Amino acid sequence: MSSASKPSSDIGILGYAESAYEKKTSRTLISMLAEVARKAVALAGLKREDIDGIAVCSFVLLPDNAVTLAEQLGIPISWGYFGTAGGAGPVASVLNAARAIEAGQARTVLCLAADNYDVAGHYRLMDFFNKALINYGTPNGFGGANGLFGIVQRKHMEIYGTRREQLGRIAVGQRASARLNENALLRGPMTIEDYLNCRIIADPIRLYDCVLPCTGADAVVVGALDRAPAGKGIRILAGFEQHNHPAGEIAPLRGGWELYRDLLWADAGYGPSDMHFVQAYDDYPIMVAIQLEDHGFCRKGEVGRFLADRTFTFDGTFPLNTNGGQLSCGQAGAAGGMIGLVEAVRQLRGEAGPFQIAKASRGLVSGYGMVGYGHGLSSSSIVLERVS
Amino acid sequence: MSKPPYPQPREDADNAAFLAAWRNGELLIQHCNGCGKSVFYPRPICPHCWSDRLENCRVIGRGKVVSYSLVHRPNDPAFKDEVPIVLAEVALAEGALILARLVSCDAAKVTSGLAVVLPPPDVCARYPLPVFHLADVS
Repeated sequence: MSSASKPSSDIGILGYAESAYEKKTSRTLISMLAEVARKAVALAGLKREDIDGIAVCSFVLLPDNAVTLAEQLGIPISWGYFGTAGGAGPVASVLNAARAIEAGQARTVLCLAADNYDVAGHYRLMDFFNKALINYGTPNGFGGANGLFGIVQRKHMEIYGTRREQLGRIAVGQRASARLNENALLRGPMTIEDYLNCRIIADPIRLYDCVLPCTGADAVVVGALDRAPAGKGIRILAGFEQHNHPAGEIAPLRGGWELYRDLLWADAGYGPSDMHFVQAYDDYPIMVAIQLEDHGFCRKGEVGRFLADRTFTFDGTFPLNTNGGQLSCGQAGAAGGMIGLVEAVRQLRGEAGPFQIAKASRGLVSGYGMVGYGHGLSSSSIVLERVS
Repeated sequence: MSKPPYPQPREDADNAAFLAAWRNGELLIQHCNGCGKSVFYPRPICPHCWSDRLENCRVIGRGKVVSYSLVHRPNDPAFKDEVPIVLAEVALAEGALILARLVSCDAAKVTSGLAVVLPPPDVCARYPLPVFHLADVS
């Protein structure tokens, strides 16, 4: 049975855009947001006058927000949304935009995500990320997210027997896809030996478990599917978000995905094995692995064998983060939560060029983020399908 | 050149008693008189039951390592001469979970499940937040 909150089948994603990903930039955040706004609206076959809602996810946009961004872009809006779910925010923003459209609060919404910082800027961000980390993380020299996810990964390895050579198949597979993506910052070859032997960052986390903080922007346009260019509309089959689950744990081996998984697949009318690709939030391979478990691709604790039995390139047996993901493209702050969404839309429209999946008519995108006292508090998921 | 100071917690009405006690080498954990559970980090209401009948209780500070990471690249320069930072999830005997450093220990000898205790007060006073020793070290 479908959930009461199943998205309307008349609303979907009409256009998308991605800026250049750069290690450093002199560009302002507003200019990057403006660039992807123009490109996404143009690709949707729309004009700026058609946009009457803005959703934006960004860590460094403050003190600006969705409404002041409307002033910067010069468009009146009847609905605004400022994401608070970190890397789970962009997927959640699309779900909220679809609901706003359904409720009549807007007709066409521009969903944006961007950040413009470098590695040092990312470290500063993490030290001052929220009150719990400022007070009880940073004074411990916690090493940012790396130190926290090292605790999670070690626990998964010790409880379930998950091995680094299994997790490494995620990073290695994604890198092989990224080698064909001109917008990926990390395009050098990577073998499993490279992954196993690279520099230790926060044992058991090593360099190739980590993302490269960078600058970039991503966007999608959400609206009525009958406005999409012919053959280019992407339907939202199902979607959910969840925050602070499980409550009160420091390093859980599960997240909010497990709570809504059954409803997600019921709404979608498909199961995990029907997906042609997965774009999972890849801040670390261990979190991709946990997302695969929590969405039901395998049982909890069995992801190690699942990984060992599959290949994860765009043309592999389990296409995963098919443009290289954050692990190879870089993590552009909150845009790290939209890179998978943009890649999903690109694949479903058949526009991924050298890394196009042969058969891509439906797939899953999942988000994760907003690290609190020990782990990411937010989870989000969306199932998308090309309108036939 | 002198060692840069550790980044400090921001003291406020919710954590002042906890931080003051720690400066004397004492660990305070909130005990909820509404539901009986322990709470860490310090909060104005109990996250388990929303009672505001939270009481700061001095605990002996015994616990065990649930999991840990060895941080070779801490963000702040204050930590760079102390790597690897042993960052552990510690389950206190009173039931609360706490993220804390294990200090004065050989990182190679740390394993999950080991018992930990509070260091002597002069060691505690060097750190802005609770730290632990391996039980067989102190």
